Amino acid sequence: MPREVEPSLNEKQFFVKALEENLRIDGRAFDQYRELDLEFGDELGVTDVRLGKTRIHTHITAEVTTPFPDRPFDGLFTITSELSPMTSPFFEPNRPSTTEILLSRLLEKTLRRSGALDTESLCLIAGQKCWSIRADVHVLSHDGNLVDAACIGVLAALQHFRKPDTSTEGESVTVYTLAEREPVPLSLLHFPYCVTFSYYSSTVEEGETVTLLDATLLEEQLREGSATIGINRHGEVCQIAKLGGVPLDAVAFLGCVQIALVKVKEISVFVSKRLEEEAKKRDKGGLMAELSAENDRVS
Amino acid sequence: MPLDTSTYSLALLRLDGRRWNELRRLTAQISTQASADGSSFLSMGNTKVICTVTGPSEVKAAPGASGRGDEAVVSVEISVAGFSGVERKRRGKGDKRIYEMQTTIATAFQATLFTHLYPRSTITISLHILSLDGSLLATCLNASTLALIDAGVPMRDYICATTAGSTSSYSSNDEKADPLLDLNGSEELELPFLTVATCGTEDEVSVLVMETRVQVGRLEGMLAVGVDGCKQVRDILDVVVRARGKRILEGSQL
Amino acid sequence: MFVLPGEPLEPATLPSHSTIPLKLGPGLLHIPPNTITPTVAGLLRTDKRKNAVWVEFNGGRYVPTTGDLVIATIQRSSVDVFYASISDYTPNATLPQLSFEGATKKTRPQLAFGALVYSRVSLANKHMDPELECVSSSTGKSEGLGPLTGGLVFNISLGMSRRLMLAKPGEQGGLVILDELGEQGAAFEIAVGRNGRVWVDSKSLKGTLAIGKAIQDIDEKSLKVDEQKKLARKVAREI
Repeated sequence: MPREVEPSLNEKQFFVKALEENLRIDGRAFDQYRELDLEFGDELGVTDVRLGKTRIHTHITAEVTTPFPDRPFDGLFTITSELSPMTSPFFEPNRPSTTEILLSRLLEKTLRRSGALDTESLCLIAGQKCWSIRADVHVLSHDGNLVDAACIGVLAALQHFRKPDTSTEGESVTVYTLAEREPVPLSLLHFPYCVTFSYYSSTVEEGETVTLLDATLLEEQLREGSATIGINRHGEVCQIAKLGGVPLDAVAFLGCVQIALVKVKEISVFVSKRLEEEAKKRDKGGLMAELSAENDRVS
Repeated sequence: MPLDTSTYSLALLRLDGRRWNELRRLTAQISTQASADGSSFLSMGNTKVICTVTGPSEVKAAPGASGRGDEAVVSVEISVAGFSGVERKRRGKGDKRIYEMQTTIATAFQATLFTHLYPRSTITISLHILSLDGSLLATCLNASTLALIDAGVPMRDYICATTAGSTSSYSSNDEKADPLLDLNGSEELELPFLTVATCGTEDEVSVLVMETRVQVGRLEGMLAVGVDGCKQVRDILDVVVRARGKRILEGSQL
Repeated sequence: MFVLPGEPLEPATLPSHSTIPLKLGPGLLHIPPNTITPTVAGLLRTDKRKNAVWVEFNGGRYVPTTGDLVIATIQRSSVDVFYASISDYTPNATLPQLSFEGATKKTRPQLAFGALVYSRVSLANKHMDPELECVSSSTGKSEGLGPLTGGLVFNISLGMSRRLMLAKPGEQGGLVILDELGEQGAAFEIAVGRNGRVWVDSKSLKGTLAIGKAIQDIDEKSLKVDEQKKLARKVAREI
């Protein structure tokens, strides 16, 4: 396994000095996100999220399968994430790194366990047929804060996706193609986004902890602790993961949750705005307008 | 299958007869395995864990991804016994939940132990889970603290952990919801809960893991109860460590 | 002139000299008897005085060549050599501990993990790990090479680092940022490595960041001369 490239001594020292002067290497404020960009693919359920130099591609697919025997009324929802050597030579195929496992666990906890997607609505015939929704998360470029970006990617893709319409008659299910019937959106119950905090304590004066939002790869490598908070805009915390690292005052932590709530509201607004723009672009005035043979004439 | 906890509001007693702020019976032994550098056995209610610590010893394999030369690396192995749960289940090595727990414990202690005293070495913590009934991560963290003390690895302070929950599930927006301390297995299945670990007597949160949905407002109460529970755990662990120290001292005088 | 790999070069595009034989630089292949084709896509550059021709291209990975100045990161040290990384995910280069100015067996530099050194590639073979030196073997002087302390290192493209190291970057490479910054009175130190790294240090952290960012911006957005001048004025004002 190749070793991860560690930042040089000069970078470490510079970073520490900069923090003392309330500076970040890329000139952002401590609680400022990098530029967030969300693009949709030609296909439904494809998103491309860019957060600074981090770039994540998400693709949603649906197929009909049999449900698990112990959960006959629930459809399937799986999230698979991949960090390929394309991201960095440090990642090897078929050998999950710690980053990858923690990323997939956090996505799983934030989106799946919190019930963001209503799996009961995916049931077609109890115990026999259900939809299986699969989200493939591909990290194209890794410059820190994968979790937040991936979460935005998957949620936007789920909202963008449309599954084929179906009708059930007794034991038989008919799946209509896109031309036969307008596909239907997925039923999402709430939208939990993740906000990751990075903590630095020994670098600055005693007893003070610096908190950064949306850390770059360099900042992630130098941090002494981190916490990811998954929260939706209604103020329901879906997941907290402060997996070890430097200890943090409990009251300060509750402050972080409040900051996360504010950030998540901003992200939600941004994603819904982009989704609306996308919907307007796609909307050609329904099926009739699409099938119309009339040409635009210049009179 | 959800359990019926609606009885709680009647007598303010939980299913196992505890009140909201009561810990389960916590027993701990230190130095249980003669062959290990440090070891402990800890049970929180029916969750039982044996922990052994090897090291600090020289790095065996070539320094891998996190092989920084200037400090010791903490590595954690967790094995779940097949008979630990109600159903006999074989757990594969690739279980991501277990892996996440391993990294959590490793990074928590990496920040608390004085690793800079042992360059180019590893400290291996092996945790064997004998019985499972809730608060697994908390039990593992407490057992590791004891075993590391037994191994004589210098550390800033104890890492003590416990779980805290809330009586009302997320769907009902019940204002009267009480926070609960130290959940058992069946309560964990049904109620929102978090695992919190503190370092020392101050309210310094080292680990905080929550996997269930809960209102922001309720978090504060849960965290407060959890941090308070950690203090109780710390007192119990401290008694165990002091008793052990006393025995060693008496032995040396003979 | 822009060339593509595989298309034979017209003899008219090559420089001619009465006495010096034609020198082929990187990116060109000679197919006997007298065909010269580029092996990469890029700009064809010629030097009439030296009768040399080469293709300027912005390649991805740095390949060490003897005599190049690089910024290397110390990875570890053994009995008498340091192991230093020139570019990520490539085998380490060796840097003898005695190849520093004034280094003897008793007074050799102590370089920690992660320290940066400005050094020259003294040996680069295809099948061997490269070797570095921080002292000129003929004069015994450092000639500006050695450990880089303080400051910050920025990653830039290989083409940009070559442009920065031209004798007259303004005329030959269309790069005026450094001259312009000097004219504006900005005081800073800079070291450019052929391996796509540039080290900057100035009195203030803000200044260091601003200069480094400016160089990266020019590289990424391929800014023109007048845009560079504007940027330089902005940076100088910030410092």
